Amino acid sequence: MKLRRSLPRPARYSGFGLLRHALGGAPWPPVWRRHDLRDRYDVVVIGGGVHGLATAYYLAANHGVNNVAVLERGYLGGGASGRNTAIIRSNYLTPEGVAFYHRSVRLYESLAADLNFNVMFSQRGHLTLAHTDSALRTMRWRAEVNKLQGVDSSLVGRSEIGSLVPHLDVSDRPRFPILGGLWHPPGGIVRHDAVVWGYARGADAAGVHLHQDTEVVGIDVTGGRVQGVRTNRGRIAAPAVVACTAGWASTVCDLAGVALPITTFPLQAAVTEPVRPFLDTVVVSGTRHVYVSQTDRGELVFGAAVDPFPSYSSRGSLEFTEGVAAHVLELMPALAPVRILRQWAGLCDMTPDFSPVMGPTPVEGFYVDVGWGTYGFKAGPVAGETMASLVATGKTPDLIAPFDLARFTDGRLVGERGAAAVGH
Amino acid sequence: MNHDVAVVGAGPAGLATAVTAARAGCRVALLDSAPRLGGQFWRHGASESSGREHQAWSVFAALRADLLDSEVDYTAAAAVWFVESTPDGFRLQVTGHPPVRARRLVVATGAYDRALPFPGWDLPGVVTPGAAQALLKGSGVAVGARVVVAGAGPFLLPVATGLLAAGARVAGVYEAGEPLRYARRPGAIALGKLAEAARYAATLARHRVPYRTGHAVVAAHGESAVSSVEVGRLDRHGAVVSGSRRSIGCDAVTVGYGFTPQLELPLALGCGTWLDVDGSLVLEVDVAGRTTVPGVYAAGEVTGVGGADLALTEGRLVGAVVALASGRRSPYPDSVLTRMLDRRASQRRFARLMHEVHAPPAGWPSWLDDSTLVCRCEEVPLARVRAAVTDLGATDARTVRGLCRTGMGWCQGRTCGYATAALTARLGGRALTAADLVAYARRPIAQPVPLAELAGPADQSGGKRYRPA
Ligand SMILES: Cc1cc2nc3c(=O)[nH]c(=O)nc-3n(C[C@H](O)[C@H](O)[C@H](O)COP(=O)(O)OP(=O)(O)OC[C@H]3O[C@@H](n4cnc5c(N)ncnc54)[C@H](O)[C@@H]3O)c2cc1C
Ligand SMILES: Cc1cc2nc3c(=O)[nH]c(=O)nc-3n(C[C@H](O)[C@H](O)[C@H](O)COP(=O)(O)OP(=O)(O)OC[C@H]3O[C@@H](n4cnc5c(N)ncnc54)[C@H](O)[C@@H]3O)c2cc1C
Repeated sequence: MKLRRSLPRPARYSGFGLLRHALGGAPWPPVWRRHDLRDRYDVVVIGGGVHGLATAYYLAANHGVNNVAVLERGYLGGGASGRNTAIIRSNYLTPEGVAFYHRSVRLYESLAADLNFNVMFSQRGHLTLAHTDSALRTMRWRAEVNKLQGVDSSLVGRSEIGSLVPHLDVSDRPRFPILGGLWHPPGGIVRHDAVVWGYARGADAAGVHLHQDTEVVGIDVTGGRVQGVRTNRGRIAAPAVVACTAGWASTVCDLAGVALPITTFPLQAAVTEPVRPFLDTVVVSGTRHVYVSQTDRGELVFGAAVDPFPSYSSRGSLEFTEGVAAHVLELMPALAPVRILRQWAGLCDMTPDFSPVMGPTPVEGFYVDVGWGTYGFKAGPVAGETMASLVATGKTPDLIAPFDLARFTDGRLVGERGAAAVGH
Repeated sequence: MNHDVAVVGAGPAGLATAVTAARAGCRVALLDSAPRLGGQFWRHGASESSGREHQAWSVFAALRADLLDSEVDYTAAAAVWFVESTPDGFRLQVTGHPPVRARRLVVATGAYDRALPFPGWDLPGVVTPGAAQALLKGSGVAVGARVVVAGAGPFLLPVATGLLAAGARVAGVYEAGEPLRYARRPGAIALGKLAEAARYAATLARHRVPYRTGHAVVAAHGESAVSSVEVGRLDRHGAVVSGSRRSIGCDAVTVGYGFTPQLELPLALGCGTWLDVDGSLVLEVDVAGRTTVPGVYAAGEVTGVGGADLALTEGRLVGAVVALASGRRSPYPDSVLTRMLDRRASQRRFARLMHEVHAPPAGWPSWLDDSTLVCRCEEVPLARVRAAVTDLGATDARTVRGLCRTGMGWCQGRTCGYATAALTARLGGRALTAADLVAYARRPIAQPVPLAELAGPADQSGGKRYRPA
């Protein structure tokens, strides 16, 4: 797919510009602008996270559709997009999943250049550990599926793991010794805020209206067709409405009378004080229910599986922090004295098969891009690209056809649990 | 064991609470992260003699004797890093010790310095007055050989005289407020306070230390550490009067604008707060020291910064209140309680006057330039905070944190929280609110806690999962 280059570009950031602004004190233009709410848009996107912003951006950039509004009830990136641990990878389990996420990794690779905004994508490699024979079996399967799709992914043994991550305890001492792992060199982490702002800036420059503090409180449907939305700032008419509201997907789709097989769970993460850089891969252990990465500032970021019960609360819990600490220390005992500074939580819209729900709904003109669970940040670019294409052309791109809402009634699940339960 | 009451903090307020409640027959747990009793006011070194010079040491000695005589279950070096409510009270997670359970909780965690940013405040040698004082009282060390003492509040005086007594030279004391304003409300000041101030003034005069009011340190300079500061006279709005800047050589400078209460634990429990007259976030309490959450009480600086005497009075009162609430008899007759309430009211009146006289100068943001760091841990300059409001559209302090990472580093907003919240409000053209400050004060993990501590060893209920090999 090729980007159309004719649209207005945001003010370019360049070395020369930097010098000019630094020396001359010329003000930078605002990253995005405020607008009055129009009473009609061609497309209304609900949700100002990475998915909503990317969808709006590609509508304008790839299809020239720029009479578009993104409605965000808080601030841009204030949902899961501002709370996630930003792991990017494509070593999934199903051919459909692998092909889809592979395209997203590709888009991430050129995103900084496309958006002229440094998104700090660091392809430091992603290592998933196996502590049981069955985990090893699933990994072997994943590695084969990955290779068939052209994704760099292979099984590694203990000694390789020991040299990839010297701080891991690869001995027989732990209760669940490390048996092997799945090594995925193109995986890594990205700076999540930068991705959000980059898309926001690009969309704004292309004419999209970004409305913060604008909550959708109703969706007007007559005769099976969407007519527009009602917000705290007034009514907007629109022939196409896209819901990109992740953790709030069920409540928002309810407004249009569309039921989703989604349950919302909190997912927590925690961060330590900064320590000297020592970890240059992402390490995931499904059995130990934990993953670890180190930021460019030196903090260790920890995460795990979703909380054990559904809720819309974003409070951290002690159980999580204690569990994560215990599991991290079983992997890397040397971290015992490192101190946790902060923990937080975000909402995840979990589907039964750990794959997203993308595409049209029974309400004509009302589209969903939801069910992103714990793994949706990495999908932002490809989801935006494909949803934009669907909305602009009316045709469902092949990449997302398997993820339609009807699969739950037709029995065509795309089971990704084995590759997505802990390692987001 | 399940206690009637857990008191967190063994400063003047917590000590008085614990001793009073225990005297009435309550089973009390007293926890403090410091290795010794006394809090900030009576901080002392390992040897007893290091404390004797302190003010009101005899009051401390008596309280400590009472404590040792009592049944209070006191644990030193015990930082409470997490609190949760349980069906029958509260459970506290304590570093290095098993969790503590109690029916009632008294928060007496005191306060810490309030810092305002200025160009050069990230140089080594720039410290807060509290840090200078803690070094002096705790270890007998002066922060520098030639020190400038600046900021606002009566606390600058004991810091300056303490440094002199330790052999340092004090190159000047620069008070941003106008203490002459005390004179307009003579009734509010106790004689003891006047005598104390006179003693400090005499000591400064004897050492020929210049004392200037309406002045502030507005920049610090140096290569690898501070070697001089710029001092300027402030106009009515707190901006520097042009032409008034001058440079003063020094190897250390202490700057602080009053204190900020330490509120992680009560905020985690959902206790209500309000914005005190000095711009600090403080706990909302009723006349009996009850917070808005049933079972949670507060005494001392956490209810509004007012000094050690007020903290002692509040501690005694709250000690009596929790005793009554626990079904014990009050250790004091009604007449004594009434006198204490009166005393507290007049001490609060004085605290209010003190805040008016020593309020942080409104114009402090005008001392900053675009590159001045507002958040030192994450190295966020003023320009980025401004851009978060003007370019990215943030309207509240929490959003600014999300957008530019102020308060996300080592200090978790303890140092930069007030400044960022105040800047956000000002850039948005509105007044600072309690909600702005809450955004930087809420820390579910109240103190940084090592992974090993979180992971185990197993607590009494066998809850922990990790056992070090
Ligand atoms: C702790 C944590 C760690 C994670 N780690 C990873 C990871 O490592 N890798 C990965 O790929 N994914 C990860 N995820 C998942 C990922 O964050 C999400 O799937 C992704 O950010 C979803 O993006 P979004 O744009 O769809 O949703 P969001 O970013 O949540 O945006 C939805 C927006 O909709 C807005 N909204 C809701 N209701 C309304 C309404 N009625 N009107 C207007 N606006 C509304 C919300 O305010 C919100 O801003 C993690 C998630 C969490 C919580
Ligand atoms: C650094 C500093 C120095 C000061 N020096 C003086 C001085 O020299 N003269 C003067 O008049 N006033 C001084 N003050 C003012 C001081 O606040 C009051 O004089 C008085 O000490 C207040 O009493 P308090 O009991 O409310 O709090 P504090 O005396 O501050 O006592 C609070 C106690 O709670 C403990 N604590 C806090 N959080 C936790 C936790 N999570 N877990 C366990 N324990 C915890 C602390 O270790 C501390 O011992 C100083 C203040 C500070 C911040």
